[in-house]
Amino acid sequence: MNEYEAKLMLKKYGVKVPNGYVAKTKDDLKNMNLKYPLVAKVLSDKILHKSDVGGVLLHIKTLEEAQEAFEKINGKFSTPVLFEEMVNGNVETIIGVIKDPTFGHAIMFGLGGIYTEVYRDVTFRVIPINRRDAEDMIQDIRGKKILEGYRGKKVNREAIISLLTSISKLVVENPDIEGIDLNPVLLTEDKAIVLDAKIIKS
Amino acid sequence: MFSKLVNPKSIAVIGASHNPAKIGYVVLKNLVSHNFKGDVYPVNPKGGEILGYRVYKNVEDLPEVDLAVITLPAELTLKVFEDTAKKAKFIIPIAGGFGETGKKGKEMEKYILEKAREHNARIVGPNTVGIYIPSTGVNTALVVPERSRFPGDGDIAFITQSGALGLLTMDSVSLYNVGFSAFINLGNRVDVNENELLEYFGKDEKSKVIIMYIESFKDGKEFMKIASQVTRKKPVVVLKAGRTSRGGKAASLHTGALGGNDAVADGAFKQVGVIRAYDEVELVDYARALAYGKPIMGDRIAVVTSAGGVGVVTTDYIESKEHGIGMKMASLDEKTKRKIKDEVVPFASVENPIDMTAQASDDDYDGVLEALQSDPNVDAILVYALFQTPLISEKLVDIITKWHRKGSKPLIVGSIGSNFTMKMAAKFEENKVPVYMSIERAVKAIKVLRIRGKYIERWENE
Repeated sequence: MNEYEAKLMLKKYGVKVPNGYVAKTKDDLKNMNLKYPLVAKVLSDKILHKSDVGGVLLHIKTLEEAQEAFEKINGKFSTPVLFEEMVNGNVETIIGVIKDPTFGHAIMFGLGGIYTEVYRDVTFRVIPINRRDAEDMIQDIRGKKILEGYRGKKVNREAIISLLTSISKLVVENPDIEGIDLNPVLLTEDKAIVLDAKIIKS
Repeated sequence: MFSKLVNPKSIAVIGASHNPAKIGYVVLKNLVSHNFKGDVYPVNPKGGEILGYRVYKNVEDLPEVDLAVITLPAELTLKVFEDTAKKAKFIIPIAGGFGETGKKGKEMEKYILEKAREHNARIVGPNTVGIYIPSTGVNTALVVPERSRFPGDGDIAFITQSGALGLLTMDSVSLYNVGFSAFINLGNRVDVNENELLEYFGKDEKSKVIIMYIESFKDGKEFMKIASQVTRKKPVVVLKAGRTSRGGKAASLHTGALGGNDAVADGAFKQVGVIRAYDEVELVDYARALAYGKPIMGDRIAVVTSAGGVGVVTTDYIESKEHGIGMKMASLDEKTKRKIKDEVVPFASVENPIDMTAQASDDDYDGVLEALQSDPNVDAILVYALFQTPLISEKLVDIITKWHRKGSKPLIVGSIGSNFTMKMAAKFEENKVPVYMSIERAVKAIKVLRIRGKYIERWENE
C-alpha cells in the first residue's frame, strides 16, 4: 500500500491527513487544486524512507515549482508524485502498530523526532484499546509535559485520544495489517494530522 | 478443575526408591515429612517396603489415583506413561530430557500428551519440580530438606515456569515465615498452562494473591482475558523475564524496532490490572503487601519513625521520581499535630516524617498511630519498627498489628536490623502485617498498594 492509499484508508476512519493530489504526469498538475506551499513526495510502496533517497521536496510555492518537482522525482524514480499542502503544528508525535508474537496487534504512541530516536519515549497497548487506555498511554509518556502545553505550544489531547482509538478500530476491522507507522503525527492547537503514513498488509 | 491436583486423596510415586540419594526417595520422604494425609502408593519393580509403605511392583497393579508423580528418567517415563495415564487424573513427570533438548524430546512430549488425552489425564510438566501445597502436604519437589526450607501455609499462590527460581524464592522467604497457598511449576508446559491455573486460583478462596514467574506466555490474548477477570477480585503480580524476538514484514517499520523489548507486555499488564515485579525479591514483597495490606487510594503518605535519618531517606524515596516512587509526604492536619504534641510525644518532631527520636516507647507509637487514623490528609502510613532502642520492646509488634487490623489507613512496616529484627519480622509476618527489612523495599510496597488502588479507581469509574 502506498502512502496515498494508506491515507485514504485512514480518512475512512476519520483520521485527519493533509489535502493531497497524485500526479501521474506533469500535465496532471494543471488540475491540481491545493493551497501552496506544498510538499512533493515519491509515491511508491517499495520506498520506505523517502527523504533518505531524495524523494521529498518541500516549500513548493508555485505551479512552476510543482512542475519542476514532478520532473525531478518522476525522473529519478519513474513513479507518480504525491503533492500535499504543508501544515504547521506545535508538537510531533509518532503512532504505530505492530503484530506482537505473544499478544497480537499492539498500538504504540510516543513523542516524535529525538524523543523517539534517542529516548525511546514510547508506550504500547494491546489492540483493541478503549478511551481509558488511550488516556493512560498519554500519561505513560515521560515527556508528557510537552503534551500539556509546554512553553505555550498548545495541543489538543482529545484529538490524540480519538486518533489512537480510531487506529485501534481500523486494525480490528482490517486484521490482515502487519504494521503501521504514522510518523510524524503533527499536533496543532485543535487537531492531530498524520503527515506520513505507512501501512503494511500481509 | 484442579482440586484433585492440589488436594489429592491418593498419590502414586512411580520410580520410588530405597536409596536416599535418588529423587524417587526424596519425593516419598517429602510427602511423609509434610504429613500428607491421603494414600501413598510407591511403585518399584523390586517391591518390598519404603518408609513404611508397601511398594507396588508395577503400575498395572495400582488402584486409581488422583495424582501420579513419575520420578524416572525421560526414556523410562515414556515406557510407563500410558499405564500411568490409565490410572491417574494428574501426572507429574519430573524428568528433564524432553522438549528442552531438541527435536527428539519434542516427539516424546507429543507422545505423552497424546496418551494423556486418550485416557483423560492431565500433565504438569515435564521437566518440573512439580507442586507443593503446604495445606495438604503434597510436595513433589526434589530439594534436599537439610539444606533448604519449605514455607508454611499462607495466602500466596505461586505459578512458575522455572522450578529452580521458584524453590529458591520460597526457601529465601522462609527465613521470615512467609506462607503460600500453592506452588506449581509448569516446567515444559506440554499440557497444564498458566492461564488455566490463573483462572483456578482466581476462584480459590484460600489464595489472596497470585504471583507468576513467566518467561513466555502460552497464549497472550487468553492471559489478558483471564487476568482482566481475576484482577478485579484479587491482585496478580507477574515477574516477566526474557525478551520476545521479533521479525517479519514489519521489522522495517519504526514501530517494529521500538517494540523490540517487552514494551508490549508492559502495556498489556497495565490494560488488565496486572502488577509487574522485576526480580524474585519484588515478587514476594509485592505479594505480601497485596495479600495483607489495603489498597492505597491517594498519594499522601505519613511516615512514623524513631530514627531521624530513616525518615529523611524515606522522604527522598517517597517524593523522588528518579530514585523513588514519585508520591507525596502528607501535610498533617493541625488537629493531628496538636494531638501528637500535647498528648503523646512532646519531644518529637510533629512534622511529617514524625520522628519520635530514640526516646520513643511502645506506647508513644500507639498514640501516634491512633492520632493518624483520623487525619483526612493521610492516605497511608509507613511505620518503622526499630527494636534497637531501650524503650521499644516486642510489644511494638502487637501494637502495630492492632492498628494494621483495626485502623482505617493502609499500613506498611519497615524494620531494619539483624537477628532480633528478623525474629520480629517473622512475628509481623505471622500476624499478616506487611513488613520490609529495608527502606527501599518498604517504600516500594507503598507504591504497589497505590498501583492496586489506582486500578480499583479505574474499574469503579468504568
